[in-house]
Amino acid sequence: MTARELIAVEGVDKTYGSGAQAMTALEGVSFSVREGEFITLVGPSGCGKSTLLQILAGLVPASTGRVAIDGAPVTGPSPDKVGVMFQDAWLLPWKTAIENVEFPLALRKVKAAERRQRALPLLELVGLASFAERYPDELSGGMRQRVAIARCLVQEPRVLLMDEPFAALDEQTRTRMGNELLQIWEKSGGTVVFVTHGLTEAIYLADTVFVMGTRPGRIIERIAVPLPRPRTIDMIGSEAFGRLRNRIWHLIAEVRT
Amino acid sequence: MSGGRRQLIRLAGLALVLAAWEAAFRLGLLSPIIFGSPSLIVRAAASDGWTFLLAFRVTMFEIALAILIAWTLGIAFGVVAGSLPVVARISAPVLSALIAVPLVVLYPVLIAWLGLGAASKVVFGVVSGIFPIALNAMVGVQGIDRGYARMAAAMGANRRQIMFQVMAPLALPAIIAGLRLGTALIVIGVVLSEMLGSTDGIGFWISYHRALFNTGQVYLGILLALLVAGLANAALSLIERSYARRTVDQSVM
Repeated sequence: MTARELIAVEGVDKTYGSGAQAMTALEGVSFSVREGEFITLVGPSGCGKSTLLQILAGLVPASTGRVAIDGAPVTGPSPDKVGVMFQDAWLLPWKTAIENVEFPLALRKVKAAERRQRALPLLELVGLASFAERYPDELSGGMRQRVAIARCLVQEPRVLLMDEPFAALDEQTRTRMGNELLQIWEKSGGTVVFVTHGLTEAIYLADTVFVMGTRPGRIIERIAVPLPRPRTIDMIGSEAFGRLRNRIWHLIAEVRT
Repeated sequence: MSGGRRQLIRLAGLALVLAAWEAAFRLGLLSPIIFGSPSLIVRAAASDGWTFLLAFRVTMFEIALAILIAWTLGIAFGVVAGSLPVVARISAPVLSALIAVPLVVLYPVLIAWLGLGAASKVVFGVVSGIFPIALNAMVGVQGIDRGYARMAAAMGANRRQIMFQVMAPLALPAIIAGLRLGTALIVIGVVLSEMLGSTDGIGFWISYHRALFNTGQVYLGILLALLVAGLANAALSLIERSYARRTVDQSVM
């Protein structure tokens, strides 16, 4: 593949506090993501993977280093280019599912008719068209995350940043959501950066897995996943998958001791 | 029991109390100057009804204006302060202290500044009610999970949009609790300030007739003051009902 580089991270450090209390969350993080690539960031808690994602999203500034998306340095959120998802959907409870999907457009004062026109196909894409008028407290956890995916996509971003979006779901739902995400990704051709602490999930979804270590948070290994697409559940039991999983497991375990 | 029957029993109860009151008065068991009687109130309404109606309008206007100002400024300050940790830290003890101060000591000063007319009543009403409104809105917004603000920021919301389109609606239960408290204090503040020094309004006429021992008129004024408070409360309940739905937090957990 010779797709061009879409995300460039060079020498990023992140330090919280100052003086004796200073805490280094990230040190010397450099990597790049090609257009259309699906990468996962995997590592133990405290490795700064969520911080890194928030830096990419422009929600938190890096202390040093350079972050650029599509050639432009990241200085703040740019929702037209980057959609962000978290572990919680953070749906607004007084708005229906479709109104939540429309919300990013409403913030930009897009007219009501156009909002509806853009939001409905996305609810269909995530399989929730018949739940458009339901309120968040009437939806299951998986459905709420589907609404959040639709809300991410409504501004047609080129990059999806996902911070453990399925971590709070039960395992079956998580696997199903992973598959749906892959289908959407294959259809839309976007670029995904997906943070997780689940090794299976990290391998199953990704073209490339970045393994992170703690104290200070940094990238310790870049592993290409040689599995063909589309991915199927059976692959998880394959020998190649098991070897990859073991390798990542050892990398993380070694760093921790 | 049907709603209609319950209503009937309530009315019958009220009629019974009024009848007993009137009977006690006629039998000379109650002092007419201290306790009055229903018939005295009716007579007062017949002779001074128009004056009281005009006074009612004055008081309602003052209260409405005070509510408008106190709600707007109180909520706006509370939501902004609640979103800015530094401002919130400084404001919380100040607001709490201001709620504890017997603000009525300010009233003579307000009269000196603004005169005996409506302005001093409106300002005193605002001062009476604004602090609990601001404090509740602030604490309410502070209690909202920052995840909402982060999500909204990632979607491209600016600071003002995050505060007033995300945080404020989420904090609505707390804000409404503050409005309940604050609005009651505004009504008290306006009527009280009319009683202490003014030229018109329900409070003024209550004081006036009390000085003349016109007990019927005093009770008529009290009834109207209760009506004012009841109307303010009903308006609030209406707002509460239309907004209170689905403000409960939900999480994936």
